[in-house]
Amino acid sequence: MRLKTLTAALVAGITVSITPMMASADYSAAEEVKVLIGFKPGGGSDTLAQLVQPYLSESLGVNFVNEYLPGAAGAIAWTRLTTQSPKDGSVISVTNTPMLMTNYVMNDAISYRQDDFTPLANVVTDPAIIVVSNDSPFKTFADLKQAAEKKPGTVTVGNSGVGGDDHFSTLLVENKAGIEFKKVPFQGDSPSATAAMGGKIDASFNNVGTVYNQIEAGNLRALAVLANERLDILPDVPTLKEQGIDVVAGSSRGYSAPAGIPEEARKQLVAAFDKLATNEEFLAEAKKRALNVDLVTGQEYDQMFQDVESQVKEMWANMEASDSQK
Amino acid sequence: MDTSLVMTGLTNVLTLTNIAFVVGGTLLGLFVGTMPGLSATMALALLLPLTFTFDPATGLSMLASIYVGASYGGSIAAILLKTPGTPAAAATVLDGYPLSQQGQAGKALGISLFASFFGGLMSGAALLLAAPLLGSLVVEFGPVELFAIAVLGITIIGSLAQGSVINGLFSGALGLLISIIGMDLTTATPRMTFNNINLFSGVEFTIALIGLFSIPQALTLIENAHRDNKVASRITDRLVPRFAELKALMPNILRSGGIGIATGLIPGTGGDTASWFAYNEAKRFAKDKSRFGQGDIAGVAAPEAANNAVVGGALIPTIALGIPGSSSTAILLGALMVHGILPGPNLLTEHGDVTYTLIWAVMLSTVSLLIVGLLFTKASVSVTKIPDGFVACAIITLCIIGSFAINNRIFDVGLMLAFGLFGYWLKKADVSPAPMVIGLILGPVMENGFHQSMLIGNGSYGVFLESPIAVVLLGIALISVLQATPLFRWLRAPFKRRLKHG
Repeated sequence: MRLKTLTAALVAGITVSITPMMASADYSAAEEVKVLIGFKPGGGSDTLAQLVQPYLSESLGVNFVNEYLPGAAGAIAWTRLTTQSPKDGSVISVTNTPMLMTNYVMNDAISYRQDDFTPLANVVTDPAIIVVSNDSPFKTFADLKQAAEKKPGTVTVGNSGVGGDDHFSTLLVENKAGIEFKKVPFQGDSPSATAAMGGKIDASFNNVGTVYNQIEAGNLRALAVLANERLDILPDVPTLKEQGIDVVAGSSRGYSAPAGIPEEARKQLVAAFDKLATNEEFLAEAKKRALNVDLVTGQEYDQMFQDVESQVKEMWANMEASDSQK
Repeated sequence: MDTSLVMTGLTNVLTLTNIAFVVGGTLLGLFVGTMPGLSATMALALLLPLTFTFDPATGLSMLASIYVGASYGGSIAAILLKTPGTPAAAATVLDGYPLSQQGQAGKALGISLFASFFGGLMSGAALLLAAPLLGSLVVEFGPVELFAIAVLGITIIGSLAQGSVINGLFSGALGLLISIIGMDLTTATPRMTFNNINLFSGVEFTIALIGLFSIPQALTLIENAHRDNKVASRITDRLVPRFAELKALMPNILRSGGIGIATGLIPGTGGDTASWFAYNEAKRFAKDKSRFGQGDIAGVAAPEAANNAVVGGALIPTIALGIPGSSSTAILLGALMVHGILPGPNLLTEHGDVTYTLIWAVMLSTVSLLIVGLLFTKASVSVTKIPDGFVACAIITLCIIGSFAINNRIFDVGLMLAFGLFGYWLKKADVSPAPMVIGLILGPVMENGFHQSMLIGNGSYGVFLESPIAVVLLGIALISVLQATPLFRWLRAPFKRRLKHG
């Protein structure tokens, strides 16, 4: 017993960071909100938590305590949230799209579904971007598309792993543009980008945040961003949309609670996220950390979940169908 | 760009916190190395989880300093107790123990300390010089080349095992098998996970490492706890060697350091090989061979300079190619991975700051070793008086806390214990766990590299022959396999005969 408490105390000391309490309004559901993070400390989800939670804490008057449960691409934390956590608003989780959906669409053994969540708000989106090596013969996306049309399934295009957001973005582009690439999965964003840099593959699908420095340094050339409009930081890179391919994709991170939390708690949490949109201090801080704020709250985030799920299901079904033809 | 990374690494290391951790780490390494039965690898595996919450520079500095400290600490028990504290100090016993019997324990330890210091400095310098050269090669390494590296690394597995090649291959094959657990990278199909969500991302290699290296050690300590401990004699003479003595030993130390670096470079050979090699060379070059084995300080200086020089040498393939040169560097590699840094060519470009931090940490640890060694060598003798049972319990407790802390998962504690019991059985069966760890690390590199190469090469094996780097690496791998077969012995036989007669 003593060992157990000692262990618990040690671990708590090691892995939990407590956001300072600054009371103003009061959150009705709990004294303290636990945030399950499905990735390692220091990763993208943790970065978001460190950015957002002090402001949430300020407007709700409660502390946010992080618990890191890395593994199975976030699925361990999300399974814990939906099946083993109290549905009273005292536990929430950082939710990544499309990862949340690709997990269970691709893998029957993952038991949670989209409707096991109460989506609260999306906070940031890192848009997808298509990059090639700086001495690549492909100068524009049209060049790349042409090559893929000429010889379907031979142009090699890297992504950060099957089921990741970059793989998903590639599928969406293939589908919309009616082309077929040879998709090469890597273990994470930077190995894929490095392979493109060395000319080992023809192109790589990445996120702006992960390759921005290499584009600036002149090691990679960006062909297109998959955002609604051109980005402030890369004004010369066209969107795919303006080239007639209507695909907007990327890696998004926000917050969700388990399904069935009290309506009052949900409203208060969503209102706290709504406030972020006009909080100058928050926006400035996000910019400093090179995070692209993309606030989508309440019902709209719910809609985003549903849209992403149906897209993921469609793409996965397409892919399995084409695989079984081969 | 390279020089700026080098400087970033230096400034990262030279903060007050890091210096404190390096001094603490060296001291800890010294104590662990002194205790017979505890190896540097074990200390690193146990303390790795503690560094998770540190920033990368602090964590790596501390681990590097433990490694360096333990390399010297091993010689203390060798000289005073005739029991090498670490396998790498076995050669030191030959001349170190006779010296201590003649009442010159201090002199022997002093020589050992200074030889370790110079060996460490040389290896740090070699590392700093080699790293930028390797850095420029990095972009040349794509999936095809990485596959070739992994194949080469795996063929070396056999040599990693002390003793039987078959046992080494068995252990390596097990490691490869275990590395298959988890989701397939190209199809996202879960393999050998029994639908257990905790296994979807595979077996965390640090968990296996903690279990395999620490639990068997602790159990063996408990087994032998009832035996009488040998108690070390006190050190009566002075520790700091005379300048003239050191000067006379310098050629020996430089040669041994060079041997250490070269031996470390070859993946799979570690401090034990290097120290025997250096000892033999020192004897061969000596004018008066008869004094060896009777307490010649040259016989202490050579293995100690070599086993500390191995540290830097072994880190070169670890850093540049992601192939650990020894089981201790495998753990340092694990530490890099914990901080989100994948093994392989990226270590020198994208994560150059962290990598150079590690290199500078090795240098700083060497300096710290000299100071800590002079101050605490006498105190460290008392460490050998701690009953084995206490040490074993402390190790097991640390194992449990450490394996839980990695992912906050009780499942991992069970997994670690399972690896521990399995490792204990392996130890009884005389199978080294080191190849298993290499298999675990290289398995995914090889598999992913193969799948990616096949995709890029449109399913043709010819893709491996199109890259000159891959051809050379695969060629070396082929030779290293062939040299273990009867064919090679048959080819070599005529040369051998000529040598004998000539």
